[in-house]
Amino acid sequence: MLLEQLINGVTLGSIYAIVALGFTLVFGVLGIINMAHGEIFMVGAFVGVITTGVLKWPLWLAFIAAIVVTGILGYLLERITLRPLRGKKGVSHLAPLISTIGVSILLENLSHHIFGAGNKPFRTPFSEISIEVGSVTIYLVQIVIFVISIILMMGLSIWLSKSKAGKALRATAENLETASILGVDTKKIITLTVVIASAMGGIAGILVGMAFNSVSPQMGLSIGLKGLAIIILGGMGNIKGAMVGGLILGLSETFLVAYGDSGYRDAIAFIMIIIILLIRPQGIFGSKTAEGR
Amino acid sequence: MLTEILNPYYLQIGSFILLNILLAISVYVPLSSGQLSLGSAGFMGIGAYTSALLTIHFDVPIIVGILAGSLVAGLLGIIVGIPSLRLSGVFLAIATLGLGEVIRVIFVNWESVTNGSIGLTGVPQIGRELLNFTRDFGFNPTVIGLRNNQFVFLMVFILLLILVIATIWFVARQQNSRVGRAFASIQMDEKASESMGINITYYKVLSFAQGAFLAGLAGALFAHVIGYISPSDFSYHRAVEILIFTVFGGSEVILGSVFGATILTLLPEVLRFVSEYRYIIYGILIILLMAVRPQGIIDINVLKWFKGSKRQKGGHVDGSKD
Repeated sequence: MLLEQLINGVTLGSIYAIVALGFTLVFGVLGIINMAHGEIFMVGAFVGVITTGVLKWPLWLAFIAAIVVTGILGYLLERITLRPLRGKKGVSHLAPLISTIGVSILLENLSHHIFGAGNKPFRTPFSEISIEVGSVTIYLVQIVIFVISIILMMGLSIWLSKSKAGKALRATAENLETASILGVDTKKIITLTVVIASAMGGIAGILVGMAFNSVSPQMGLSIGLKGLAIIILGGMGNIKGAMVGGLILGLSETFLVAYGDSGYRDAIAFIMIIIILLIRPQGIFGSKTAEGR
Repeated sequence: MLTEILNPYYLQIGSFILLNILLAISVYVPLSSGQLSLGSAGFMGIGAYTSALLTIHFDVPIIVGILAGSLVAGLLGIIVGIPSLRLSGVFLAIATLGLGEVIRVIFVNWESVTNGSIGLTGVPQIGRELLNFTRDFGFNPTVIGLRNNQFVFLMVFILLLILVIATIWFVARQQNSRVGRAFASIQMDEKASESMGINITYYKVLSFAQGAFLAGLAGALFAHVIGYISPSDFSYHRAVEILIFTVFGGSEVILGSVFGATILTLLPEVLRFVSEYRYIIYGILIILLMAVRPQGIIDINVLKWFKGSKRQKGGHVDGSKD
């Protein structure tokens, strides 16, 4: 029982971590909170539903389709809503926040309009397959989700620390002007960041669809808010913090549902961030002070 | 003639506009000292539930309930405001957003008191109480040619109008006082104002608590105007909606809040003929507005221009003064 809950918690946590990575990348580079990230994630989940359910494509193709669609959405988001605000004089730091909220309202209602309000099932060919180890049941879906998340996280970490583009991205996150002076094409890097973050949201969307076997236009909001809570928990713009924060949240939610009052499940994330903001405002792994940007 | 103009539907929308103006001001006041609060939906819920529960279970008069609701929200604003002062910018926004969500989840789960997600029904309504009150004085609305329900909606509208005007007057007066200048200076530069001898802790908590109080007031009024409240009335969507009122209209001047709340409350009604798409249009509108005019529709320059053109019409051309 305990071990099973642990596995459930880690599966959920690794999905949360991927959602949070999308937030943290954009925050790290642009210093803004992308309120539309949850809805981009939801679009990714719907792409998964359509490709696997209606078009009967295999799962790997669904992943590619989701990455392409959400990547394009990310590009449009950056091009249409974020770039016009950058470098403009007299723009308050609220403007990009509001603008992305506009995108989230648009996407949520658009998919509400196209797909209807109800939950859509998300079937995978191996959703019923499980492995019994002693008294513990592990579903193959959980293993797939966990492996994909680990690959994604490791891939992102290696890419950020080793590749040229990754280094340029980190330099841009550190200081935009200096990176620009040193010859980094910051415009390209920013676009790349938003596209990668959105594509990760799309992958997370399919993973959530697989894990919960249901997709709805409203799912973006709750998962998006939790992703936001995780980056506060782990430290804004901190990659490691997003991963650990996601795991902490996934585990504590699972254990609360199993051993406590499941009604408060959605509140845990926020109770956690309120506590963490009061004790250690820079987050668990953050080093900078919690100054607003 | 009078009966045609005083259509209950128009009056109802008018009342919603006034409530939303109050809510928009509840975001505007903390913002005028540089603090972005997304907790207004939560404070609104606190006000609404406090007042509704008091009037339902303890039979207190509505006015006492509303006052208690706003005060409880204001007190919570002080309690939350003091530790939150360590945070600024987006951190405060997310913390207050989290607070609002926690409050909502408590409303949903504390079923013995709040009746869970079903919400509270049978909250005493201001309009009916006013009708009974005037009846006790022997006044019957039919005397001035109004049906009962018209009279009810009209009274609610007038009451809200008085409250909103009083609030705007208060906030506008405060802005030109020592307190308002302290707010503005903190918004410009916190450290500089501190070194100028401004007690920033005091003023930041003050503006935050004022916002919470106003949101609680609006929530309590909302409960007694509608007569029915549920946790979904105070969700994230509401918080975002309120923020957008303020930012859309212009977050630099109080008239921006008034304008934003009015336009954005009317817009869904006007867009009713495309009701299926209205939130899609709403989203596009916000994106476009931020791209074209990120400071909001109304800012100081618009006000100056407006005043200037008025003066010219009146024959007092006085351009050098601005």
